[in-house]
Amino acid sequence: MDFALLRDAFWGLTFDGLALGAIYALISLGYTLVYGVLRLINFAHSEVFMIGTFGALVAASGIMGVKVEDDPRTGGSMILTLVVCLIAAMLASAFTAVAVEFVAYRRLRKRGATKLATLISAIGVSISLVEFFRIITHSLPREFPRIMEKSFLFHFAGADIRNDKVIVIVAAGLMMVALDQFISKSRLGKGIRAVSMDENTATLMGVNINRVITVTFFAGGLMAGAAAFFYILTYENTSFKVGFFLGISAFTAAVLGGIGNLRGALFGGFVLGLMETYTSAVFGTAWKAVISFIILVLVLLIKPTGLFGESITQARV
Amino acid sequence: MSEVLLELKNVTMKFGGVTALNEVNVQVKKGEILALIGPNGAGKTTIFNVITGVYKPTSGEINFNGKSLIGKKRHQVTKMGIARTFQNIRLFGESTALENVVTGADIHSKSGVIGAIFGTPRSRREEKAALDRGLELLEFMGLRKRAGQLGKNLPYGDQRRLEIARALATNPQLVLLDEPAAGFNPAEKVALAETIKRIRDAGYTVLLIEHDMSLIMGISDRVVVIDFGTKIADDLPSVVQNDPRVIEAYLGAPADAS
Amino acid sequence: MSKVTFNLRDKGAQFWDKSPRWRRVLLSVIFIAICYALPFLNNPILNTPGSDFQSVLFYPVGMYVMMAIGLNIVVGKSGLLDLGYVAFFAIGAYTMAVLGTKTSLNFWEILPIGVGLAMLSGVLLGTPTLRLRGDYLAIVTMGFGEIVRIVAVNTSAIGGSRGIAGIPTPPPAFKAKFTILDPKPYYWLLLTFTLLIIWMVRRLAARRPGRAWDAIRQDDDVAQLMGINTRRSKVWAFVLGAAVAGVGGVIYASQILSIVPDQFNLNVSILILACVVFGGIGNLWGVIVGAVILAFTPERIRFLSQPRILVFGMALVIMMNLRPDGMLPKKKREHLEADWDHVEESGEGEIK
Ligand SMILES: Nc1ncnc2c1ncn2[C@@H]1O[C@H](COP(=O)(O)OP(=O)(O)OP(=O)(O)O)[C@@H](O)[C@H]1O
Ligand SMILES: [Mg+2]
Repeated sequence: MDFALLRDAFWGLTFDGLALGAIYALISLGYTLVYGVLRLINFAHSEVFMIGTFGALVAASGIMGVKVEDDPRTGGSMILTLVVCLIAAMLASAFTAVAVEFVAYRRLRKRGATKLATLISAIGVSISLVEFFRIITHSLPREFPRIMEKSFLFHFAGADIRNDKVIVIVAAGLMMVALDQFISKSRLGKGIRAVSMDENTATLMGVNINRVITVTFFAGGLMAGAAAFFYILTYENTSFKVGFFLGISAFTAAVLGGIGNLRGALFGGFVLGLMETYTSAVFGTAWKAVISFIILVLVLLIKPTGLFGESITQARV
Repeated sequence: MSEVLLELKNVTMKFGGVTALNEVNVQVKKGEILALIGPNGAGKTTIFNVITGVYKPTSGEINFNGKSLIGKKRHQVTKMGIARTFQNIRLFGESTALENVVTGADIHSKSGVIGAIFGTPRSRREEKAALDRGLELLEFMGLRKRAGQLGKNLPYGDQRRLEIARALATNPQLVLLDEPAAGFNPAEKVALAETIKRIRDAGYTVLLIEHDMSLIMGISDRVVVIDFGTKIADDLPSVVQNDPRVIEAYLGAPADAS
Repeated sequence: MSKVTFNLRDKGAQFWDKSPRWRRVLLSVIFIAICYALPFLNNPILNTPGSDFQSVLFYPVGMYVMMAIGLNIVVGKSGLLDLGYVAFFAIGAYTMAVLGTKTSLNFWEILPIGVGLAMLSGVLLGTPTLRLRGDYLAIVTMGFGEIVRIVAVNTSAIGGSRGIAGIPTPPPAFKAKFTILDPKPYYWLLLTFTLLIIWMVRRLAARRPGRAWDAIRQDDDVAQLMGINTRRSKVWAFVLGAAVAGVGGVIYASQILSIVPDQFNLNVSILILACVVFGGIGNLWGVIVGAVILAFTPERIRFLSQPRILVFGMALVIMMNLRPDGMLPKKKREHLEADWDHVEESGEGEIK
């Protein structure tokens, strides 16, 4: 155990934790949105994220022609590349999410299948996607070219603040604000809230459930895609199994905040990001999952509905 | 006066801002049929829920045979001798009628997993006893023929009767019946009234929620009236029937209450 | 296909119900004999490329069947979604590996210890978490499954990520020698335990614990109000499931000779859950059929080497879309023509 490291590098760790937490938060929004309308865990959401990273990868090399051995870009070219990759990742994830709903959920929902059957169907899609990418990548990780020079922007309380992480935190914040506006202001967003509250009443009120569900998956996919881009920008590689661990953590974050609750998901994401970063500093990276798990269990036992309580409607996001 | 079996003292139940029960006092005496009436949303079902441990009352005391029920787990309340039925039928639909009743009768068994696996003598004896008890109760409720049918496939009236059988199977001292005649035609109501009397005659105490005045007048020894969570009357049926407050609360306007 | 399996099940059930006792015993004996004789079957259709049929019978087929039966107690009977079932399998396997290599205890002495430890961890995990609602229980159990693996990876005393090698085989029993070369005795061992477990599960299902699980699965609140200590019943279901996985783990480790933590990953839990749901949740025979198919198919189509898991994943999706209740869904038989037909609906019976 290394408490000295935690003490000395506290602000640097906090910053890293927030950047990681932003990624978790974005992914967990997808879990929470889908749970809100379907009352189901979208097991394939981790693969929605995984495909986002490949979307960014393809956009970087295919559209923008960046190669791994290239020097980082600068100026307008850099910004353009970043934006194109971000959009590609978001679209790849969003369309995957919609396809997942169509293949794994729609028919079963219409037939009134049990939760378990639906879960297995989603697990089947998840397995298929992972395997598909394993095969086409020959089980090898892929490197993501460095698009921007990573440098320390400024120095704060003994911590060096890196530019890419600042971008991640700021951009993730903007995404969340955009989602917030969408859910609370737009017609479709109101539809999502209505269905989350009470599907039958929503139907009676003339809400088109199918469309609401599609939009929900699409929105969750967009967020996961953004997370995928921020992830690959920070860690600069991906593989077919990248979704698994991030998915578990993000789901834990969603539960931690109270699944179905958007604000809770954000909060849970940041809390988990920070916790994992601090505890890995103290106990070593190997144990971080164990510690997050123990904290999750404790939270659930003390407050079984998560920190913020359940239900998308309670949070006025 | 016969002795008090169940006593609610100043029971208050709040759900957020809603006060479902407000300082309610009720006594149920051994061997009687006590009817609980009141308009929709008055708090009748909530009384059942606080008695059986579904909700913990915000304040007040509930004593059964002199022992407090507050803080007791639901299964402990049932073991102490209180069983109930539900306003919206809640049978085990995927189990047969007999299994439903035997599940209630299992409360008397002491043998568990180990006994079941090894088929110990006690386990065999208890299985037999529970089965006999189940059949006996099906017979009592006129459901013997339905024993092998799934709960969800039973006709509506039989489902209501099966709920009563399942509750009786736990061998309670007090049975709480939540609108057992809901949806019944007059002939069925008459039959049910007979059944409830037979239940009382078999030694059970009955607390009954019901909307049908004639049924209540016919069988209950005493009537408690709840309105907006407050007790507004507690007397003999004939007295309650003519109480202007009750008539006003229950029917919204003075009218023929019988 | 679906119509056929449906009718087969109903016809089979009817035939069984109507059979006198001697015929049931005879049929059971024949069925069991066929199971024991399976390794001698030499059929080109059943042959599995890449690994020989006899090994496949032990692992994955036999092992999956056993584990699926165990998980079915938890998920199918009691309705508790457990996504970390592999943890109990791992605990059984590690008990065998550690005690087998570090002490002089033999397989038969370690078996009860392994099962006991698996059950103990079932109690420790179940007691606090089983009051959680379904989805939360799923994530907590899934987390637990991963935690057990991560702890194994990071604990050098039990071999860390390299695991444990040189696990002893069981001593000979009934003239059968347990060696690495011959999977048959292991299969028979596994089969014997599986039959024993089936026998126990059938007894439990027909008696008080089974009724309590049925009640809890259908309506937890009402189950409590009928006097069932639901918390205790759930923990029991969890612990019995854990015990079955523990048996599986001990046998598995003694056959495979060396284990590494990564064998016990989330995919195993999910695959076993898939067996349960695929076959028909809650129905013992459905679960067995599901496990046989899901374990055998990937081996049989090994010639597809690369895309075989992909095919498996797609098969799950297609299957669930076509038959969401599984291949042989649980269907309670109604005994309409049972013996109490003559009873009058008198409504006049006496109760005490
Ligand atoms: N769990 C709960 N949460 C919030 N409010 C509740 C809850 N249960 C009951 N109430 C409220 O308490 C009041 C009394 O309800 P209750 O079900 O006891 O009425 P009731 O007398 O049984 O009516 P009915 O004749 O319609 O069955 C109602 O206003 C109801 O909305
Ligand atoms: Mg009511």
